Amino acid sequence: MQSNNRSAPARQKARHPAGVDSAPVRLKLLFVIIARGKAEFFSDLLQSFSVNLQMSVGAQGTANTDMLRLLGLSDSDKAVLVAVIREDRAAEALSLLDEKFRTIKGGKGIAYTVPMDSVIGVAIYRFLADLDA
Amino acid sequence: MPSAHQVIFCIVNAGFSDAVMDAAKKYGARGGTVIRARGTAGGDSERRYKITVSPEKEIVMILVNVRITDDILHAIYREVGLETDGQGIAFAVPVDQVVGLHQSHKSEQQPDPDGKEEEKT
Repeated sequence: MQSNNRSAPARQKARHPAGVDSAPVRLKLLFVIIARGKAEFFSDLLQSFSVNLQMSVGAQGTANTDMLRLLGLSDSDKAVLVAVIREDRAAEALSLLDEKFRTIKGGKGIAYTVPMDSVIGVAIYRFLADLDA
Repeated sequence: MPSAHQVIFCIVNAGFSDAVMDAAKKYGARGGTVIRARGTAGGDSERRYKITVSPEKEIVMILVNVRITDDILHAIYREVGLETDGQGIAFAVPVDQVVGLHQSHKSEQQPDPDGKEEEKT
């Protein structure tokens, strides 16, 4: 019984911003691969989708750029943004990212979401899901 | 509904990311992204498995169609697997939704962020 009482907060249902009891909002990992110079722009963009945690990692593209590099034309420097996003905001975020990839000069990239199974800690979950305290 | 794509993560010793991409390209992958990393295995693991772990690593991420995932994983295992100097470990992760892929190559390719035919992410 004691262990049940201890784990009760962990099983407490998350509350939607509207205050309605419902199943916890699922989370996804959102990967965005873009030119390094655009990392800040896309990072700011993601923040408008209830994203409270994101990491930016420097990376390199693997294109065959030997000749281009000789000519000083290569730009294989990339950034990978890894963000935790609510499942119900993911489609909307991907849609806007797709639009920006197609319309911004030098802003082409790839974005995809990967499902997340588990998070430990209610406070961490609420932070990641951007739920009201 | 399951997605048509998966992302392959391959962790290899530094300097072997080109070999990973060469293996993957044979089976239809068009591009990947390399992140520099540092391995933490050592000590006991090295003694137990009689291997030397170089701490300098590269993580290669390749977004591919699910139809070619197994072929690419096998190719990576053969050419840069644990038995080779690359000491690679590879695994595939399901992907829910993808944007940014070229329409004409959507089944098997990654996009060209720079607008060049052969440029990949």
